[in-house]
Order: sequence, then structure tokens, then C-alpha cells
Amino acid sequence: MSGFQDARTLPRDTVLNPDLAIVGGGPAGISLALALAESGQNILLLESGGRTFEADVQKLYEGSQTGVPYIALDGGRLRYLGGSTNHWGGWTRPLDRIDFESRKGMSYFGWPFARNAIEPYFARAQSLIEAGPWVYDEADKTMSDNGPLLRLGPGGVYTSWFQFSKTRDNNLPTHFGDRYQADLTKAARITPLLNANVTAIRLSPDAGRVTQLDVATLSGNRLTVKPRYTVLAAGAIETARLMLASHDVMTAGVGNGNDLVGRFFADHPIPRNVATMVVFDGAMSPFYFNNVTLPEGAVMRAVLSPRPEFMRAHGVAGSLTTVENEAKLDPFATAAVVTTAQALGVDASRAKAYSLGCGMEMAPDPDRRLTLGTERDALGMPRLNLHMTISDDDFVLFRQTLTELGRQLLAAKSGMLHISYNRRDEWLAAMDWGNHHLGTTRMHNDPKQGVVDANSRVHGIGNLYVAGSSIFPTYGSSNPTLNLVALTLRLADHLKKVMA
Amino acid sequence: MTRRGLLAGLVAVLAMAGGAAWKFRLFAKQYPPTPYDDLLGQITDREPAIVFGQAARKSLPGAAQLAAGLRRDRRSLAERAAAEPGEAQIAEVAGWVVPQSVAFYAALAAQA
Repeated sequence: MSGFQDARTLPRDTVLNPDLAIVGGGPAGISLALALAESGQNILLLESGGRTFEADVQKLYEGSQTGVPYIALDGGRLRYLGGSTNHWGGWTRPLDRIDFESRKGMSYFGWPFARNAIEPYFARAQSLIEAGPWVYDEADKTMSDNGPLLRLGPGGVYTSWFQFSKTRDNNLPTHFGDRYQADLTKAARITPLLNANVTAIRLSPDAGRVTQLDVATLSGNRLTVKPRYTVLAAGAIETARLMLASHDVMTAGVGNGNDLVGRFFADHPIPRNVATMVVFDGAMSPFYFNNVTLPEGAVMRAVLSPRPEFMRAHGVAGSLTTVENEAKLDPFATAAVVTTAQALGVDASRAKAYSLGCGMEMAPDPDRRLTLGTERDALGMPRLNLHMTISDDDFVLFRQTLTELGRQLLAAKSGMLHISYNRRDEWLAAMDWGNHHLGTTRMHNDPKQGVVDANSRVHGIGNLYVAGSSIFPTYGSSNPTLNLVALTLRLADHLKKVMA
Repeated sequence: MTRRGLLAGLVAVLAMAGGAAWKFRLFAKQYPPTPYDDLLGQITDREPAIVFGQAARKSLPGAAQLAAGLRRDRRSLAERAAAEPGEAQIAEVAGWVVPQSVAFYAALAAQA
């Protein structure tokens, strides 16, 4: 069996015996399947949805929430082939080296390996997400034709660079489902199975191996999959849900012997209008507030980020600060600018103000978690409750980075900064989210501190792996897609060895 | 005297008057003398400093104490404002990140 199949049309109680079952047809699942297409293994790619959005399928995502207001669980993701790449913004940047470090005084930070473990996979990941040539922070050297960098005095904030997936001309970022459908069809050993919802992971009596996956369709069909190996790639929310809901052998859920599955959920908070930056001479290069395409095809945008040394010294988490729109100054703000510029001996008669946005890294929090609720969906699966938190420290630490940016503008006599929010309620009122679901099956060498090991294998279960951003133990401020694809390609190499 | 000569003379007189007005700040707002004029005189434009200083003064000591502190530092406002960001001597006034001395001088202007 190869080529796309529809689980609704297979005979009831069909038993499938692939070498590898991949649960989820988003960027991780599709990247993994394609990376293993020539491995000689038969791969079953199970996708809950079809090729396009369907409301009944999307409703399977519904859940409840407590804690800090957050996007509805069926609102920030898409349940059909291609997953959440069907609505992503295409922002892309590799995690920084410091994102992998454990840091003094910062609980739960750090990965079980350094960035160089995934660096060999970045080029292929960059190609899969179609973000053009690898430029990123080398852009400092190549963007001079497009204007100067913002002048900052020495210090903890610098101009760093994002690239974009295929947002050229009128193109949207790469939708993995549309883009790789033909490749999946062509691959002789890959069977994408649409409308196939995995409702349970069955373990051997000793809980050491996955023996079976139960599959159901919304039309009432039932199938069984008996894979040699299984990779859960259903996103950080759904992967945790499936593990928690599969509790016939491990009573707390698959891989949840240490009560970690579903904990450490995270996203990137993106509060709006976090600051106003005044540039005394009014000049701001276009790459700070618009995407700029380099001749060789990379689409670039500059952001302002904390340097690793600053992050280490001050215990600051990652962030990216974006220049958004030109802003107006009220009389008090004008008085602040005139007074400061005159004291600095700078002509501010042509000054312009710009509002700033940001993406923040949250500190890992075990209490920010997904648990099973009492309600069930149309397939009988328990719905999730998300308890969302954000600590005051997250705001305080990001504020330190903004203050440092303000200090550096003054030191360079190039501008100054107004920070918009001080109180928690002000931050929360301005809050938006990146819809980057992270961290619910975090990676750690110690089973007491992580759900998967450094090879993405679920601790204690020999043939069960997780792919995707749920394994991120620390999140960084880079958007996750490039990084989760690189990690998935690394997993593919591991699977080639263990499955051979 | 020709008309051209008369006109040139008039222009010269007006220019001199303008120069004098600028030099002696004849049309600038005049403030009553204060015990802090040695410090306040360093502020180029006192009106915006007073507006900004209304916020700055909230978290700072009274004028006499502020002035004493500013006089202890022998540097001028311009010297301090230029140096302080590099020395991490900054203040936040109603969300604005400014050199510490700018906050002090503005607060003094608002109180004087």
C-alpha cells in the first residue's frame, strides 16, 4: 500500500503493520516521512484531517482553560494535512547557542546537548521550509546597500536577523501539506493515511514497547496499526493529550511515570506596543520594519535581541524586539525628547518615533500544564484543560532588555526609548501569543526531569519517539518551525540506525 | 541718501536688533531668580524640562537636596548626560529611559 489513502474507506478493523507509524501530518511528520522515504522502511503517516480545513475535524481540538487568558485550544492550530504550517507567518531563525545552555539561577533551562548537535541539519531544514540561502546574522555584512544598522552604544542588545519562508511576491509561507503532497505520493514506501485519528497508544504489559495504535474516523470506522516504531508528531498539545489519554497500562498515561507529560507548556508571548523608540535623526533603515529581499533570494528582517553575554550576566531570557509603525508623540513625550536631546547636545528637530513589538521567551514552568478534562470529543477522547501561567519575572526580565536598549540608544546619542508597561495588568492587557506550542514532552537525560531522552525517545519505552516542538525543554525566542524540522531530521538519522 | 542705501541700513539695523535679542534672550520666557540658577542655566529650553520634570520629581528628593547633589558633581549637565549612559547611570521617568542627570535637572526645573 502506498500513496494517499483515506481511513474512512478502508475495511473496518483493518490491521496495518508498518515499520514506522508517524502520528501527525504537520511539518515534523512530513519532514520525518520524507527523510526516511529511501530508508527501506514502510512508513504510515497518520493524519487526523484531510487535505483541507473541515470544521468537524477542527472541533476535535476544543478544550477548556484556566489561569491567564490564552487563545482557545482550537484557535491557534489547524488539524489537516500540513498542520499549523497552513497558517504560519513564515518567520524563521535558528535557536541561538545560549538557548541550549543551562543557566545559573534559571530553573529548568538547558538542553541535553549543545546546538552543534542539530547544526548539521539546519541546511536541509532551511531547504524544506523554503527560506532561501542561509544568511541570518551574516546579514550585517550584506545589508549595507539597504541602509545602516541602528546606532547603539556598546552593550547587551544588538541587531539580529530573521528570514522568512517563501514570503516572496504574493507567495505565502510554505504550507507543508500542499508543498509536499506530490513528494509523499511519489514515495513508494510512504502511505499517508488521511482522516485517521489515533485514539490510543497500546503498550506491552511491561510498558516497555508500543504494540498497537487504535485509529478511529469521524465516520465511525475503526482500524488498528501495529508498528515496529512509532513517532508522535501531532504538536505539543495533541501529542500530550494522546499520551495522557492512553492509560490502560501506565495508569498516569504513556511515558508519564514521573508526572511530566503535559507540564511545561509554553508559547511566545507577543505583547503589542511594548515601547516607543525615538530616533533623533529620524532615519530608520527599511529592514527594521519591513521584509527586505536580498539579491540571492533571502527575505530578511532585522530585530533587536539580547546578546548571550548580557543574558548570562543578568539572567535574562531570550526576546526579539521588532520595529512596527511610526508613532506620534504627545506633548509630554515631546518634552521628554527635547529635554534629553538638548542635554545630549543632539539635534532632534527631525526625530521620529516608532512603536516596538516583541516576542518573549517564557521561563519553563511545570505548573503551566495540560491535563485531561471530563468532557469527551466526538471520538470519545477526553478533552484537555490548559492551565496557563505567565510569571511577573518574565515581564521584569524582558523589561531589563528594553532598558538596556534605551541605555544603548542614549550612549550612541542616536535616540531614546519609552517603555510602555510596568504593571502585570498592563502587560496582560496588551498580550497576544505566537501560537508556538512548546514543551509538553520536554527533553532531558534524566527521566525524572524529561519525557524524552536526547534521541527524542520516550524514557522507558523502546519504540516510541516524539518529534516536534513539544520536546523543547527551553524555548528561546526564535520561531520554532525551522528548529523542530532540524530536530526531526536528526531523529530521522537516529531512526535509520535503530530500525535497520 | 538713495532708497537702496536706506533699505540696506534698515536691514542692518533689524539684523543687529535680532542678534541682540537672540544673544540676550530678550524674547525668551523670563523666570524669577532662584537659588538654583547656576544649575538651571544649563538647561537649554526650560519649558519642556519643566513639563518632563513634573513626572521626574515624583520619585526624587526636594529641590535643595537635588541641587546639592548636582553641585557636588563638578561636571556640567552636558558632560554628565553624555557620560552617564556609558556608566549605567540611567533613570526611568514615566517609562522614559534617560540619563540620570536629565531626570535630576528636569525635576529641579519643575520645583524651582
